[in-house]
Amino acid sequence: MQNNMKERSSYTPYLFAFLSLLLLGLAFWVIWKDEIQLRPWKEYQKEYKELKGAALQAEYDKAKKEFDSNGNSRKLETLQARLNEANNIFQSKEVQEKYTGLVEQVGIIEKSLAQNQKKLQETRGKYLETEYLYIRDQKEQDKRTMQQLEGEIEGLTENRNVLLERKEALQGNIDEITGEVETIKAEIQSLHKGLDEKLAAIESNDRISPQIKQIHIRDVGKADRCITCHAGIESRYKLSDQQPFTRHPASFVFLENHPVSEYGCTLCHHGQGRATTSPDKAHGWVDHWREPMLQGSMTQSSCISCHGDIEGLRGAEFISEGSKLIKRYGCYGCHMIPGYEKLREIGPVLAEVGTKINYSWAVDWLQDPKTYYEAARMPKFYLSKEEAESVADYLFSMTGTSRHDTLYTDDDIDWDLAEKGKAVWRQSRCNICHTTNGKGGNHTEIHAPDLSKVGSKVSKEWLFNWIRDPKKYFPETKMPRYRFSDQELAALVEYIVSEFQDWDFEPEYEEPVPIKAESIEKGKALVQKFGCFGCHKLKGMEEMQDIAPQLRRAGATVAGGESSEKIGAELSSIGSKPVELLDFGKMKADIPHDRLSYVKQKLRAPRSFRDDLRMPDYRLSEEELGPISSVLLGFTDASRPARFIIPSYAEIEELEGEDDSHILSGDFEKLEKDIKCLNCHKIGNHGYNYAPDLAIAGSKLQEGWVRKFLRQPDIIRPMLKQMPRFNLDKQDGMMQVNLEASEIETVINFFRSDLVTDDIPVVLPGLDDGAVDQVLEGKRLYDAKGCVACHQIGNAGGSVGPNLSDVGNRLTAGFMFKYLEDPQRYSPQNVEPKYGFTERERIYLTRYLMSLKQDQGDAENSETRSDQ
Amino acid sequence: MKMFDNIKQSLVWKSMFRRDYKDTPRNRALAIFGNIFMHLHPVKVRDGAVKLRYTWGMGGISLFSFIILTVTGFLLMFYYHPSVDQAYWDIKDLEFQVPYGIFLRNLHRWAGHFMVIVVWLHMFRVFMTGSYKSPRQFNWAIGVILLVLTMLLSFTGYLLPWDQLGLWAIEVGTNMAAGTPLLGFEGPFSEYLGITPYNDVRFAILGGSTVGGNALLRSYVWHCVALPLVAVVLMAVHFWRVRKDGGISGPHS
Repeated sequence: MQNNMKERSSYTPYLFAFLSLLLLGLAFWVIWKDEIQLRPWKEYQKEYKELKGAALQAEYDKAKKEFDSNGNSRKLETLQARLNEANNIFQSKEVQEKYTGLVEQVGIIEKSLAQNQKKLQETRGKYLETEYLYIRDQKEQDKRTMQQLEGEIEGLTENRNVLLERKEALQGNIDEITGEVETIKAEIQSLHKGLDEKLAAIESNDRISPQIKQIHIRDVGKADRCITCHAGIESRYKLSDQQPFTRHPASFVFLENHPVSEYGCTLCHHGQGRATTSPDKAHGWVDHWREPMLQGSMTQSSCISCHGDIEGLRGAEFISEGSKLIKRYGCYGCHMIPGYEKLREIGPVLAEVGTKINYSWAVDWLQDPKTYYEAARMPKFYLSKEEAESVADYLFSMTGTSRHDTLYTDDDIDWDLAEKGKAVWRQSRCNICHTTNGKGGNHTEIHAPDLSKVGSKVSKEWLFNWIRDPKKYFPETKMPRYRFSDQELAALVEYIVSEFQDWDFEPEYEEPVPIKAESIEKGKALVQKFGCFGCHKLKGMEEMQDIAPQLRRAGATVAGGESSEKIGAELSSIGSKPVELLDFGKMKADIPHDRLSYVKQKLRAPRSFRDDLRMPDYRLSEEELGPISSVLLGFTDASRPARFIIPSYAEIEELEGEDDSHILSGDFEKLEKDIKCLNCHKIGNHGYNYAPDLAIAGSKLQEGWVRKFLRQPDIIRPMLKQMPRFNLDKQDGMMQVNLEASEIETVINFFRSDLVTDDIPVVLPGLDDGAVDQVLEGKRLYDAKGCVACHQIGNAGGSVGPNLSDVGNRLTAGFMFKYLEDPQRYSPQNVEPKYGFTERERIYLTRYLMSLKQDQGDAENSETRSDQ
Repeated sequence: MKMFDNIKQSLVWKSMFRRDYKDTPRNRALAIFGNIFMHLHPVKVRDGAVKLRYTWGMGGISLFSFIILTVTGFLLMFYYHPSVDQAYWDIKDLEFQVPYGIFLRNLHRWAGHFMVIVVWLHMFRVFMTGSYKSPRQFNWAIGVILLVLTMLLSFTGYLLPWDQLGLWAIEVGTNMAAGTPLLGFEGPFSEYLGITPYNDVRFAILGGSTVGGNALLRSYVWHCVALPLVAVVLMAVHFWRVRKDGGISGPHS
């Protein structure tokens, strides 16, 4: 016992004291950690509150100053004086006596009203009860009671009405007494209203206390607490440029169409929306968070999860660019990319290439396409000269047995013929699609080959046959079939071959050399290894990409939809692939290990991961990497609720079965396949945006004008030259394909039958204003509204909008009439403002515009479907 | 003072405390008999036996961890839904939104780890001091069961955050169960009993053939209800047996 006591007194109290202090310290640490360190948003909210308070105060001060300077304070003083006077009268003994008397009387009446009400309720209840009993038992006695109760109810209701009347009368008397005071008070209040509201805003801002705020979107399981720190993201005012107090940029596009309360933040921006404890956690910049926050243009990746069509989507310019690049480089040839499945291989058919090109050219091209021309789309496969020769041998072996080159020297050229060919070249506007020595190629989405050195590449015979009927060699080509005579063709070929020569070209095989069989086999193996068939149709390899590699190794040869797999990795959920699963290989470059850096590096230098990878080098510029990767990272596993999904046109068409309104038909379809109208024009969702949309051309354009234009496309030029959007140089305008008269009729008929809309009236509505000169009225309006600022008539006017000098010959009255109502109706991108014309004004204006015609004498004008 | 006397005379007081303060041997004995906690505690403890260097205090600390785990676990249950859609986000919300939620969760997690370690050390100590020998063989057996229960509590709690770590741990753990002789579909002799992946012991643990919503729910129920209940009962027996077997073993007994 003694020992024990001694031991206890020796160290136990100190240990106890130490541990107690430690625990106390820990308790304080926990409180500090949880209340302050893990709640940084408290500070942010306080700061934002101060910023907002200051802004509101400034606004109030400004309003107050204005209020005072308008002499309002004087007015207020007068009102206050009047109020005091009225109050004095009201407070006088006499009036007060009368007032209190009246109020008392009202009180008595209200009391009896309440009693009456209670009694009425009871009686009604009794009545209902008796009614129920009567229906059940059919006793006469009940019926009598019912009648009696009915009488009582009537009496009570009458009594009540009397009381209400009396009350109203008394109330009227009271109002008379207090009326003056109340009126003045109301006046003061209305004078002060603006300021009071501002004061209330300040007060309500002062009352705000820090709290976590969140947007909960049930069907996607999101709870975004971003607005806890980003308090001003939706604000109308710009309070600060500093995060997290800024407003959302371009909110008129993004937030307007995707209200924060409905979409939250992380649906588009990713990040860890629930986190509140630190900016890094909230933005998802922590290990193992699979969706780090997207910022700036990269956010556009997210558009893809809901929007079917991204090209042309407002606010999605970055991915739109990326999508165009994917189409340009044909990534979908080797990779499964959702939405790009139905596109054509980007390269030409390689079936009879041995009859088309020079062998030496092919070998150079295969080694590095950019030595032929800088903008070549074909990537570099890093083939050795030997390998390139093998591939060329394989390709040439399809049509022959030798390596051979043909070189045209000056002596081979008929210079007179070439001179004639130059005229054909110009007239045909080959330069719209094809570039030559840096000229032309304005229509960038067609990707026609550069022709600067084509004379050293192809043979005359092939060129002649190609231009005569391009589809014969390459059925899916975009090249239109011009209606040239053989003489014209010969001249054009002569011109092309003479003009576009590569002076550095050194043919090795002007004397044909036989191809070796083993080289052919080697070439075929290389073609299969690198999957040339992803971009080129190759004889005997049409189905290569439809067979999964493992099946092919097992010897499968069937073309099967089910086993279809492309040579590259499928990219349909690359945006969700965990970083841990990305193969960084033997990457030597020092790049961060995240998804974006991986995809960018893969595009920048595909072989930098491992030397034996098959993906070729596209030599993309740094500016091209961002847009392409932003599109790719948009392909994720995430599913979105149906209410967010906006399907693409193609999907809608598929869902609705055939959408016959925009699918070409009959003779016109055949004609279009030949001359490729949709290479430049758009009809519905088909075609390109290079030339005007023809969706409603039948309603919009006058027949006579269309006929004249097709015969001689030049006539639109003076007008188009005015359009800054097109940047056309003298070389441009519509190409002349020499349509025959019957073909022109085909076009007209198709326009009239298919490209019309009921929306546009054939005849203008009549106006009952006999005496007025409608054309003159229209001109008055035209001048009054300042149309001249943008449009040109004759020599006067601006050049933002189209020239209207000949508009009366070109457009239909119905189109103008509807167009003036809402310029964005038919093409949402139009810049013309909505003036809100009345129907009458629109008729006047249309009549005026219809009167604007050049060369009045033209016989065809009489055929127009105008307003007569 | 009068008031206190009145309270002490009241029926309520008397029904709770059935004796007065007079320090007599009888009262001392009654204090022990009348109190369930004291009843479990040994009547007498040798002073050598309470020395830290002998017992390491591991048994008491195990109990202490268990109490912490019960209290924090009880509070955590207010914020947690054992469903696939919500479980992970509830854990996240404990961190991001619930006041002192992260403290609560960390306390529970660390106390859980701590208890496993302490229970092992307790067993080690008991073994090294030979305290499993007669007459304490039965209590050793109870202790072994308690050790297994501690492990199972730890294992079932692992899945509840519904994160990758827990998911794969349970995947691995239950696949081991699939190798149980006779009862697991991958175990020896199971084919003679007609065991398939859909009726074996793994299926019973997971409530299915993969780690999914049912596995989560089962883990939750085992972790929060069944296992703690059994553990409490066995702990009561364990402590009571300490008393019955002559108190904590000492260096000389």
